[in-house]
Amino acid sequence: MIRIALRMLLGDKLKYAGLVAGLAFATLLITQQGSIFAGFVLRTGAWIRDTGQADLWVMDKQVEFTEDRKTMLDSSLLRVRGVEGVEWAVPMYKAYMPCRLSDGTRVVVRVIGLDDATLLGAPPIIESGALEALRQDRAVLIDAADAQDELAIREALGDTSKRPLQVGDRLDLNDHEMVVVGRYRRTTEFFWDPLIYTTYTRALAIAPPERRMLNFVLARVKPGYDHDAVAAKISELSGLQAYTEAGFEARSEEFILRKTGILANFGITIALGFVIGVLISGQLLYNFILDNQRSFAAMKAMGASNFMLLRMVAAQVLFAAFVGFGIGVGLTALSGNFLEKSELAFNMAWQVPVFGGIAILICCLFAAALSISRVLRLEPAVVFKG
Amino acid sequence: MFIRKYLLPALSLAGLVAAAYTVTNSNQRLAAMPPIAEPAASPFRAQIAGAGLIEAASENIAVSTPLSGLVLEAPAVRGQRVKRGDVLLRLDDRDRRALAAVRRAEVEAARAAVARLEALPRVEDLPPARAAVRAAQTALDDARAKLALADAVTDKRAVSAEELTRRRYAVESAEANLEAFTAQLAKLEAGAWKPEVDVARAQLAAAQAMLEQVEVELERLIVRAPIDGSVLQVNVRVGEYADAGSRTPPILMGDLTRLHVRVDVDESDAWRVQRGAVGRGFVRGNPQLSTSLEFVRVDPYVVPKRSLTGDPVERVDTRVLQVIYSFPADALPVFPGQQMDVFIDAAEAGRGGAK
Repeated sequence: MIRIALRMLLGDKLKYAGLVAGLAFATLLITQQGSIFAGFVLRTGAWIRDTGQADLWVMDKQVEFTEDRKTMLDSSLLRVRGVEGVEWAVPMYKAYMPCRLSDGTRVVVRVIGLDDATLLGAPPIIESGALEALRQDRAVLIDAADAQDELAIREALGDTSKRPLQVGDRLDLNDHEMVVVGRYRRTTEFFWDPLIYTTYTRALAIAPPERRMLNFVLARVKPGYDHDAVAAKISELSGLQAYTEAGFEARSEEFILRKTGILANFGITIALGFVIGVLISGQLLYNFILDNQRSFAAMKAMGASNFMLLRMVAAQVLFAAFVGFGIGVGLTALSGNFLEKSELAFNMAWQVPVFGGIAILICCLFAAALSISRVLRLEPAVVFKG
Repeated sequence: MFIRKYLLPALSLAGLVAAAYTVTNSNQRLAAMPPIAEPAASPFRAQIAGAGLIEAASENIAVSTPLSGLVLEAPAVRGQRVKRGDVLLRLDDRDRRALAAVRRAEVEAARAAVARLEALPRVEDLPPARAAVRAAQTALDDARAKLALADAVTDKRAVSAEELTRRRYAVESAEANLEAFTAQLAKLEAGAWKPEVDVARAQLAAAQAMLEQVEVELERLIVRAPIDGSVLQVNVRVGEYADAGSRTPPILMGDLTRLHVRVDVDESDAWRVQRGAVGRGFVRGNPQLSTSLEFVRVDPYVVPKRSLTGDPVERVDTRVLQVIYSFPADALPVFPGQQMDVFIDAAEAGRGGAK
């Protein structure tokens, strides 16, 4: 009987194609918007993941996200090092600074100061130059992507095109001349200001004077110690807050979602996708069942029970949902692989297809529920009607 | 028919595969950049971390000049080992040396004055004085003889009373004359008057004292090593002006037979420091280089932490307890003034702490 039901579905090519297309489109809408949303969320923690050398991030209690500059006493570093279970801890400086390029372009950049001795916290991939070169006088590392964009310079006055900043070029950070010794690559981030790396003491030397300068301490937990327990101990002993990488990511994420309204915006789009899916598939399914009323009636006349008819409709709906969802999610994956190469945020987390699938299922069942009553109330006599 | 039938389900399956691939392969995180040197890790179960600054066992001695002046000679060489009392710097002493010559001449003059007084009486002065005494004696004898002659005449008419009186007075006059010449001779023979000699001697002593003053000043223009040790810094060169009490010392020296590490411990961790606890010091940039540290002392005064902002107006960040540790100079390739990561064993210290 299920086979008959499917044959019924496949028999009406136009309706079948329409139904699948509608469901595929709804899936595409839901999963793609979901993926883009997940992409944005992922990007808020990109810098934290790129700085993956540390197990724990220690910062002032009031820090809410990665760009928040609430500083600590210099000696906080020593206090963190003194906590049981901490293998090592290094300081990190991060702050916005004005930057002037050689052609006069002015950019606001974020400057990161890495521990002088170890350069822990460095970006993941050095594209040109060398990380060690950061030990040279006035050395900085720039992002290869920024170099093409915000940090590109005009070679001569009146040049129409710009060239990317390269190793050996100079730039002014807060009125201190620095030399580019390397370009690095990193994951695209939610924040857009160029990120420039230098050493901690050099960052302090060029930074505008503040009473406290240190904003992050990166720490590694000794083997055999629980990360969360050590983080809790650091928070308790030092009066600071210590996060695991995931914890800091979650905190940043939560703050940015709350402050920007991204969640609501994408939520609305996803809800719209769901509504459109329900409307299209509901409409098509209803039409399909209406058109096949006679066949159902004939089966009922031949002695098929209501339960059997329900199963048949369910099989048709589930089949259509499966095919539509597969195509939709495939299109999303395909578009994602194109989007990933552009500037757009895209992250197809496993939750996206799972929840997308559940949404499509709900949407189909919703549509099926609308039309099923028609089948159940069907009089076998309909078959004889004109 | 076959293709038509299975086209859409096949597409759907392909889509699911693509989705699964995307889920597992997209947005993979990049591997973290390894550090160029491993950071120092504590060798203790519980530890106090401190920032250590290496200094000489004698502490770093900023040798100053007692007087300001132009540097004439700077025999001290960086890194040189010197003995206590060795000359490190010689300042311009020309004016003082000229003054010393004057003072020396003054001493000579005063000494000559004393000698002159002590050499009195002058031998050449005595014979005329003696001759004068003798002449007076002779005159007295003559007067006496004339008086005796007149006295011997019995006839009162032969010698008038007036004549007799005159001769008697002549004797008295001659006697007084002799007395005067004798006294003069005695004074001459006695030499210089003692108070006068005393005055001259005092002047000599004063002149000598002034000479010594200049000589001390000359000595103060020579800067000498206060201890046996090594010269760490020479901040003046020949021809430069060394300012007494300037902020950068002309010479920095210290005893490098052992090195000390001055460990800054945050005041909030200060209660955990136990006297005598072992420490371990790590060379920055290479944690393979480390040495065990021997406890020396705790500086009993908590000082403001010196931060490395390089800002001329340093604002107090926090206060730190300074604990001094030591290690043999040949244990590590490090120099005084270098920073070190130090861990102090705090295994025994509990949370409650107060004993």
